[in-house]
Amino acid sequence: MTSTLTTIVITLNAVANAFGQCLAPIGWLPEGLSLTLVAVVTGIATLKMFKYTSNQRAIARVRREIRANLLAIKLFKENLPVTLAAQRKLLVAALRLLGLAVVPMAVMTVPMVFLLAQLAQWYQWAPIPVGDDTVITLRLAGEIRPSRPVVKLLPHDAIEDLSGPVSIASLQQVCWNVRAHQPGYHSLQFEAEGERYEKQIAIGDGVMRVSPQRPSRDWYEALLYPWEKPFDAQSRVQAISIEYPERDSWIAGTDSWIAYWFIVSLVAGFAFRGVFGVHL
Amino acid sequence: MTRLIRWLVLTGVGIAQTPDWASAYIGPGAGFAVGGSFLVMFAAVFSAVAMFLSWPIRYLWRVVFRKRSPKKPRFRRVVVLGLDGLDYGLTVRFLEEGKLPNLAMLQHRGCFRPLGSTLPPISPVAWSTFQTGTNPGKHNIFDFIVPDEHTYQPKLSSVEVRPPRRAIRLGPFRFPLGRPEVRMLRKSQPFWAVLSDYGIFNCVLRVPITFPAEKLHGVQLSAMCVPDIRGSQGTFSLFTTRRRNDGTPTGGEVQIVQRQGNTVRGELVGPDHPLRKDRGPLKVSFTVTIRGNQWADLRIGRATYELRRGEYTSWVPVCFRTFPRVQVHGVCRFLLLATEPEFELYATPINIDPENPALPIGYPAVYPIYLANKQGSYATLGLAEDTWGLNEHVLEDHHFYQQCLDTDREREEMFFDALEKVPRGLCVCVFDGSDRLQHMFWRYHDPQHPARPVEIPSDHVTAIEDLYRRMDALVGRTMARCEGTDTLLMVLSDHGFTTFRRGVDLNRWLEENGYLVVDDTRRGEEYLAGVDWSRTQAFALGLTGIFINRQNKFAHGIVADGVDTEKLRTEIAEKLALLTDPMNGQRVFRHIYQAPKVYRGGYVDQAPDLILGYESGYRVSWDAAVGRTTTAVFHHNTKAWSGDHCVDPSVVPGILFCNQPIHAENPRLLDIAPTILNVFGVPVPDYMDGRTLDVGSS
Repeated sequence: MTSTLTTIVITLNAVANAFGQCLAPIGWLPEGLSLTLVAVVTGIATLKMFKYTSNQRAIARVRREIRANLLAIKLFKENLPVTLAAQRKLLVAALRLLGLAVVPMAVMTVPMVFLLAQLAQWYQWAPIPVGDDTVITLRLAGEIRPSRPVVKLLPHDAIEDLSGPVSIASLQQVCWNVRAHQPGYHSLQFEAEGERYEKQIAIGDGVMRVSPQRPSRDWYEALLYPWEKPFDAQSRVQAISIEYPERDSWIAGTDSWIAYWFIVSLVAGFAFRGVFGVHL
Repeated sequence: MTRLIRWLVLTGVGIAQTPDWASAYIGPGAGFAVGGSFLVMFAAVFSAVAMFLSWPIRYLWRVVFRKRSPKKPRFRRVVVLGLDGLDYGLTVRFLEEGKLPNLAMLQHRGCFRPLGSTLPPISPVAWSTFQTGTNPGKHNIFDFIVPDEHTYQPKLSSVEVRPPRRAIRLGPFRFPLGRPEVRMLRKSQPFWAVLSDYGIFNCVLRVPITFPAEKLHGVQLSAMCVPDIRGSQGTFSLFTTRRRNDGTPTGGEVQIVQRQGNTVRGELVGPDHPLRKDRGPLKVSFTVTIRGNQWADLRIGRATYELRRGEYTSWVPVCFRTFPRVQVHGVCRFLLLATEPEFELYATPINIDPENPALPIGYPAVYPIYLANKQGSYATLGLAEDTWGLNEHVLEDHHFYQQCLDTDREREEMFFDALEKVPRGLCVCVFDGSDRLQHMFWRYHDPQHPARPVEIPSDHVTAIEDLYRRMDALVGRTMARCEGTDTLLMVLSDHGFTTFRRGVDLNRWLEENGYLVVDDTRRGEEYLAGVDWSRTQAFALGLTGIFINRQNKFAHGIVADGVDTEKLRTEIAEKLALLTDPMNGQRVFRHIYQAPKVYRGGYVDQAPDLILGYESGYRVSWDAAVGRTTTAVFHHNTKAWSGDHCVDPSVVPGILFCNQPIHAENPRLLDIAPTILNVFGVPVPDYMDGRTLDVGSS
C-alpha cells in the first residue's frame, strides 16, 4: 500500500516538476510580483476546478436560500419567530454549503499539495549566500561502523569542506560543515562504500529554486521534496539534506508566503467568480 | 474511473491529515468552502445578536412614536384573497351544483354576498377603489388608458415613466444623470398606508395599480401596469422561418429567422439603448440547435437550455449590456412551437428581472429580490398572461392555459409565504389569472359566441368551471393556513364576467351622427390619427367612455365648457341610449352615465364625459378601443378574447365571501377599505367614500 502510494507520488512529482519548469520566471521577477501572479492564476484555476468538481446547481440553490433568509431577517424583523426561523435556516444552509464543498475540496487537495510543494521550493527557503556556512547531512540505511568512515564528500569548487565528516551513529547520520563559494546550482558528489550519490546545492542571492533534501523512497518525504529523485529503497544512502536559510520578507518565508498566496488566490477566486459563472 | 476518484479523494484527505506545512492545506478551494460557510454563519449570528440587542430600542420606539388606534383590533390578522373577475352568477350556480366545497364552507361559516363593482367595472378602476375606499373621481383612475390632452395619443392612466431630466452629451453618447422618474397617477391613499401609520404590518401582493410601489410599513409587490423590459404592457416575440401573411400581430412581433442546417439564430429585442438613441433597441443574440422533431438546445448568454416542443422553459435570465456595469436584466420563457417543416419559437414578453429589477416593482426594493431567491424567478409583468399571443393565433389554448397555471402557482407560493411570515396585520393577494382565463375561454362557455368553434377542444370544454374549481381549491388551502390564527378571511372579486359577442365602434357611431370627422383614407390608422379635430365634438378612446372635445381640456378642443358641453353630453347620451343592434334588435346600453353626475372629487374632470354601461354581450369594439374608425358600428367579436366585463356594473357584480358574517345591504368594493380599517380599530379617514360593513357581530 505504502509502496504504491510512493510510486504514485513520485509519478505525480514528475508531472509537477515538468509543470514546475513554467515557474522559472519566478527566478527573475520580483518576489512579490511573482507570488501575486502565481496566486491569481492559482485562484482562477482553482475556481474552474471548483466549478467542474462541485454540484453547482445545489450550491446555487443553497446560496439563494441563504440570500432569501438574510433578506427575510431584514424584511420581517418585527416578527421574532420569523427571524429566528430564518437564522436557524441560515445556519443549516451554511452547513449544507460546507457539505457541498467537501468533494471539490478533497479533489483539489491533490493538485494543490503538489503545487504547494513546487512553490515552497521558491518561496520557503533562500539559497546559501556566497561565503556562508551550512551543514550537509547524509542519512544512511543500516548501522555506521565507527572503525572507519564509510562516506566521503567529494571535493567541489563551489564549496569548501570546513569540517567533517562527523558521524552520529545513533541517528545513522553523517554531517559536513561546508562554506559556499560559487553561485549557481551545483551537484555535490558523495561516495559511500564504493557507490556514488548526488545532491543539488543552490548558492547565491535573490530567488532560486531550492531543494533542501534529496528524499528517501517514502511517499511523504517525496511529497515534501519533489525536485530530486528519491533514493532507491535498497540504497545505502537514504537521504541527503542541506540546511538552507529561510526566506525573510513580509510575503515570503516559512509562514508568510503561504498565507499571502492563500489570501490573494482566494480574493482572485471570489473576484473572478462572476466572470466564470461559478457559484461558491 | 470511480475507483480512481475515490483514490484521489482518499489521498487528498490523507495528505490533509498529515502534520506538516503541506498538511495545513489551505488552498483557495478550502477557502471557498470554509470562507463562504463561515461568512453565512457569521451573518446569522451577527444578525441574531443585532436583533436581540436592538429589539428593546425598536420596541420602545414603536411604543413612544407610533400612532395608537383608539380601538382594539378585532382580529390579529386580516387576509384578503382577491380573485379577479370571479362572477357572482357563475359562483352561485357552481355552489348550487356542489362544485365549490371550500367556498360553500366559507359561506356556511360566514357569508357570501354579491359585491358591487365600480363604474366602469374594470380592474384598474375597481382595484383602485378597493385600495383607496374612494370613487374614481378621487383616485383618478377611469380606464386603462386616457387620451393625452395635447396629442390625443393614448397613455397609461395609472403610471408615467419619464427618462431622467438631465443628461451629459459626449459625442453620440448621452449619459443620463439619475434614474428614470416613475410616477404613480393614482391619487388618494391606499388603506394600507393608513394602517402603516398605526404601525400595522402590511403585505400587499400583486394588487393592480400599485406600480410604482409606494412606501408602507410592510412589503409590497406591484402588479397591473408594471411594464415589460421594453416599456410596453407586454410584447411577445415569435421567431419563425415561415412568412406570415397576417401582418404585424397586436401585442407582439414576428422575427423571420433563417435555418442553417440544424441551427437557427435570433435576437431578443430589449429596451432602447440608454446612451445612444441612434442605435435603436438593445438586443441579445441566441442560438437554437435543433435535435429532431421534439427537442432543441437554446444557447443564450453563457447558458444552454433544453427546449422541448410544446413545453415552456423555466424563466431564462436575459442581460442587455451597453457599457460594462450598465446592464438591464430581464427574464422570459421560451416555447418551442415547431421544428418541421417550419421552425417556430415563441418567447414571452421579457419581464423585469425580479432579482435585478430595473424599475421599482416592490417595496422595499429588496422584497422582489427576496421572493426571487425564495421561490425562483417569477412573472413581474402587470398583465403576466399573454392574452395577445392567443388572440393573434401564435399560441394555442393549452399554451395559454399553461401560462395561467404557472403564474397562479408562482403567486400561490408567494401568498402562502406571506401568510407564514405575517401572522399579525394585513395580507392581501390578488390572483388575476382568473380574469385572463375567463376573457380567453368564454367562447367555450357561451354556446352563441361568434368565436366558438364547431369542435371544442376536449381539454377546454369546461375550462371556466375548472377555473372556479381551481380557485375553490386555492380558497381551501388558504383557509387551512388561516385555521386557528384569529384571522378574518375575505375572498372577493373586483367584478364579474359576461360574454362579449359584439363590438360597438363608438367612433363610427359618432361619425354617423355628425360628432366626429375622420379622413376616409386614414380610417385604419390607430390612435385617432385621421380625425379632424377642428370639426370633431366627441371621440372614443379606451374601453369605457366618450370624451367631449372640450376647449379647456384638449389642445384642439372646439366645445366650450359649461352649457355647451353639458348639452352635448346629454344629447349624445340620449341618442346612444336608443341604440339597438340591427342583428337582433337588442338594446346595446343599459345605462349611459354622465361623469359629473356619478363621480365626485377633485379628478372628475379627467374622466370620460360619458361612461357607457353596456348590456351583456356588448362592449366597445377592438378598433374603437385603439382609436381606429371603421365603416360599421357593429362587429362580431371573433377573437379568442371572448368574455368581458366592460359593461354596466349591474351586469357583472363581483363576489364577497368572508369567514365571519357580514351584516350589510348591498356591500360594495368601495366599502372594503373602511371596513378593514374598522376591523383593526383604526379611524376611517373622511375622504373615503365607502361605508363600514358590520363584520362578525350579530
